[in-house]
Amino acid sequence: MTNLLNKIEETYGFLKEKIDFEPEIGMILGSGLGILAEEIEAPIYIKYNDIPHFPVSTVEGHAGRFVIGTLQGKKVMAMQGRFHYYEGYGMEEVTFPVRVMKRLGVKTLIVTNAAGGVNKEFKPGDLMLINDHINFAFDNPLMGKNYDELGPRFPDTSRAYDPELIEKVMEIAKENHIELKQGVYTLFTGPSYETPAEIRMVRFLGGDAVGMSTVPEVTVAAHSNMKVIGISCITNMAAGILDQPLCHEEVVETATKVRETFITLVKKVVEKL
Amino acid sequence: MKDLNLKLNETCSYIKEKIDIVPEIGLILGSGLGSLADEIEDKKIVKYEEIPNFPVSTVAGHEGQLVIGRLEGRKVIAMQGRFHFYEGYSMQEITFPVRAMKELGVKMLLVTNACGGMDTKLYPGALMFIEDHINFTGSNPLIGPNADELGPRFPDMSAAYDKGLIALGKRVGEKLEIKTEKGIYTAISGPNYLSAAELRMLRRLGGDTVGMSTVPEVIVARHTGIKVLGISCVTDMAIADDLEPLEHSAVVEVANRTRPKFIKLVKGILKEVKEL
Repeated sequence: MTNLLNKIEETYGFLKEKIDFEPEIGMILGSGLGILAEEIEAPIYIKYNDIPHFPVSTVEGHAGRFVIGTLQGKKVMAMQGRFHYYEGYGMEEVTFPVRVMKRLGVKTLIVTNAAGGVNKEFKPGDLMLINDHINFAFDNPLMGKNYDELGPRFPDTSRAYDPELIEKVMEIAKENHIELKQGVYTLFTGPSYETPAEIRMVRFLGGDAVGMSTVPEVTVAAHSNMKVIGISCITNMAAGILDQPLCHEEVVETATKVRETFITLVKKVVEKL
Repeated sequence: MKDLNLKLNETCSYIKEKIDIVPEIGLILGSGLGSLADEIEDKKIVKYEEIPNFPVSTVAGHEGQLVIGRLEGRKVIAMQGRFHFYEGYSMQEITFPVRAMKELGVKMLLVTNACGGMDTKLYPGALMFIEDHINFTGSNPLIGPNADELGPRFPDMSAAYDKGLIALGKRVGEKLEIKTEKGIYTAISGPNYLSAAELRMLRRLGGDTVGMSTVPEVIVARHTGIKVLGISCVTDMAIADDLEPLEHSAVVEVANRTRPKFIKLVKGILKEVKEL
């Protein structure tokens, strides 16, 4: 029975043979945003299929590989394609890549996603810097045995999204004339989109955006003492706000339109980190 | 999703051999409401225990069989007895019958349940059309690989409960002089009835009623493109600041008492439903 520590070591060993440097920044690229990885210089591609203990991404808009190299002079390790709880993976599988990134030396994680806008001040195409989150998935990646080598039994998440980095990113956005909102990301497992009643509930609870990812990865990042920057691309207004149904095509379409602004912002952030 | 499709084929082949109609309306009959199925004409009965890939119902008040035939001139397939998350079944198991109904030809699902009323405007015996729901079960029947032939990866739920059918239901209620209500159903896993603090929380979150079923079946129905009408029978009041201890027998008693009114309403609706 291979435990989590063994798995991390094995995967680390496999990847270390292919990478001859320590990546300092990790990136998880959400729906439609994977194209940012094309900007990475001298890229090393490693397919998830080839990596021991890795699941395979199945959602359209997600490619399924690591892209490792240099971006704006920094050593980065990007996930082009991520794993979601709604695909049927356990929380440990979904977050395993973060464990591996930490083991490889990553200190800051930039996590991105496509999200539904709950805050009525938002509109499709907005970028939102995540300043906090609500886990409404009724599950947690840290349940089960705690390995003290990886982190504490009861990790604090009051500053999961680093406050200093939040300030820094807001400044960078301002300097580059990029409109950047801020807000609370709420995790719902999906895969069905939420009902209007559920969205009203999210608003009441204090959520600004809703999505099906990110929170598990951030929870593990917090456990591992990794700093986090989270950016949501508001691809659509959540159910019940506009009088229209929701569909995945709209999500991908908006993400595509917003792509350039998003890439500019992330590159500037990486540069200044 | 080979496994699921194989199972569906097996199940539907078995059922088709026993019936001689293509059902267009599915009925899921909740606690104490199962006797509506006794009114079905030219009925064929297929017990869950003989159907391949079907679980077996365990709650008192649920019989455990499919009843297929005609009701008010419509071709229906009714579940007399349903499966619940609290019984220990997976979400896939409890919603499998809805997938089978779709395979067999069903275009509309009339789903019923017994529930607790959190809105003080409700009352024991109230019949409430479900306008929307809040999934508080902690799970979702669509988690896992998506069978693209059956439905989309990310189904829209912005209008899960068909507005046209609700309007029709309201009109039928008026015509038959049956008072009906509308509201939001909150699904919990149960099986315990909730504490006052929990009910207060759910009320604040926007729920009008609370119950332990329906939402998983509705999510799967919408995944497959089936139209949904939901009718809740409020069997007890679940008002946080005025909470009395509750037993299942009390729930069944109110459901039994409300039954005649409920049956009249459903039959009236079945008669009126035109386009499916």
